[in-house]
Amino acid sequence: MSRYLRLLLVQLRASALLAVQYRSDFFIDGVISLFWTATAIVPLLVVFQDRALLQDWSMAEAMVVTGWFVFLNAILEGGINPGLQAVVEQIRKGTLDFVLLKPADSQFLVSTSRFQLWRVSNLLAAAAIFIFAFHRMGRLPSLGGILASALLLVAATAVLYSLWILTVSAAFFVVKVDNLTYLFGSIFDAARWPATVFRGVVRFVFTFVIPLALMTTYPAEALLGRLEASKLLFSLLGAAAFTALARWVWMRSIAHYTSASS
Amino acid sequence: MISVRGLKKYYRVHQRPPGLKAALGALFHRPHVTVKAVDGISFDIRPGERVGFLGPNGAGKTTTLKVLSGLLHPSGGEVSVDGHLPRRREDAFLKKIMLVMGQKQQLLWDLPPAETFELNRAIYDVPREQYRRTLEELTSLLGLGELVQKPTRQLSLGERMRCELAAALIHKPKVLFLDEPTIGLDVSMQAAMRDFIKRYNEQHGATLILTSHYMDDVAALCPRVIVIDKGVLSYDGALDELVRHVRPEKRVVFRFAREVPQIALAELGKVVSVDSVSAVLQVRTEAVNSTVTRALSTLPVLDLTVENPPLEEVMSELFSRSRAAAEAAS
Repeated sequence: MSRYLRLLLVQLRASALLAVQYRSDFFIDGVISLFWTATAIVPLLVVFQDRALLQDWSMAEAMVVTGWFVFLNAILEGGINPGLQAVVEQIRKGTLDFVLLKPADSQFLVSTSRFQLWRVSNLLAAAAIFIFAFHRMGRLPSLGGILASALLLVAATAVLYSLWILTVSAAFFVVKVDNLTYLFGSIFDAARWPATVFRGVVRFVFTFVIPLALMTTYPAEALLGRLEASKLLFSLLGAAAFTALARWVWMRSIAHYTSASS
Repeated sequence: MISVRGLKKYYRVHQRPPGLKAALGALFHRPHVTVKAVDGISFDIRPGERVGFLGPNGAGKTTTLKVLSGLLHPSGGEVSVDGHLPRRREDAFLKKIMLVMGQKQQLLWDLPPAETFELNRAIYDVPREQYRRTLEELTSLLGLGELVQKPTRQLSLGERMRCELAAALIHKPKVLFLDEPTIGLDVSMQAAMRDFIKRYNEQHGATLILTSHYMDDVAALCPRVIVIDKGVLSYDGALDELVRHVRPEKRVVFRFAREVPQIALAELGKVVSVDSVSAVLQVRTEAVNSTVTRALSTLPVLDLTVENPPLEEVMSELFSRSRAAAEAAS
């Protein structure tokens, strides 16, 4: 285990060097990502302009959901997307060979190969949104709520990561998956809204197939102190199932690659 | 060290018919064909041996290397490398081997090679002290110097290839798989790479399998060659034996004091090339003696040398023969 921790540090170091090597990119990237973070709140302002509640959610409460959306988006774009996006390219060019020849877990190596460290600033932006929202509500989240939402953050990250592994695994079987990742990006965008605003089939999909509810709504409800324990349990079990599924599919995909590529 | 028995690797590929109508039809029903990339190859390689894989494009050389390194699962047959089954890709196995591909690179593109070395050090669990010594040795043998601190994208192809080799040798592998390591390099860089590989093999006793399009690579590095053609092994043995077998002729290169009529040359042997005061003749090996004696007594010879025909020609003759045989059989 400590070996993989060391490996993670070495990979992080390379990403940090890369970020420093391209200083101008680094700053432009930072300004752009802060801009996008700011725009994440705009839809809320529009929706709440002429109403006080959206399906039982006040504006301040809905902002907590948006805060988690910004938070997870930072994890996605800073920690998950860069490495896994590169896999698609490596499969196409055949340089994934080098990953498979290394005496270390291939899923770990590709997942940690690249980080966009600047996205850390978006985590701070998310924190600012939380502070602002709770300031408006004039109260503080409970300790239990914070702990539950921290657990849910782990579950949400695991689910998000697993969904990405599943998407990228498709690249082993079909040549171009750019569209697939783009589609996934647009679907994830719906996570900025409390899941209860969706109805019918869409709600079912967002709860069970692509569990956006688990990613942003439940953590927000936990912080607000109104998440049922059953939902927490369901989320943790669901995240474990997703992680196991992603691992299984990845191993199958690697086997397919090694028995089919040339 | 390496043992291969009846290795087979088949691919199932879609056959894409030409034309829009057929292409639309293929959306619903896709015809498949089986391509036999490697079809029953057997050989053994002893520790420390240097072996060259020869064969035309698509012969199955790279496929065989990839099976040996565990990247491809064989469709049939048995493969063992230093007691391991490569396809299991156990850590202990992967730490013993390396694969360098002239067409692909593992160096991090935007960072100096030193960063890739450091990453590989961590992945292969190389102790710091050993890493420092290995890197020192590689730096002096490959003449890396300041190169390792420059971003990879700023390096020339030759510089990059040297760094690729260093990155692949950080963990001191016992088995080296080299797939076209000198492709695209200029002649002096090719020679430098060959020197390095040979010296590494001699100093560390590493086993080496090389594929190359440059016959000079194979001639300089590999006393033993394995010829693979259409997935089948067609020769396994010493390189000079192969040359004698395919082309039992020698070349006699003459330099004359004055111009010699071509007719006089044609009487001696097959004229390969001729200009005003020099000529190259091709004669059967057993006729070399008499030809030289006759030439010396009848022609104004300044000097002469007896050579083997160029390897490139030997190979192209070998492969065109096997193509002709295949066409005759079908």
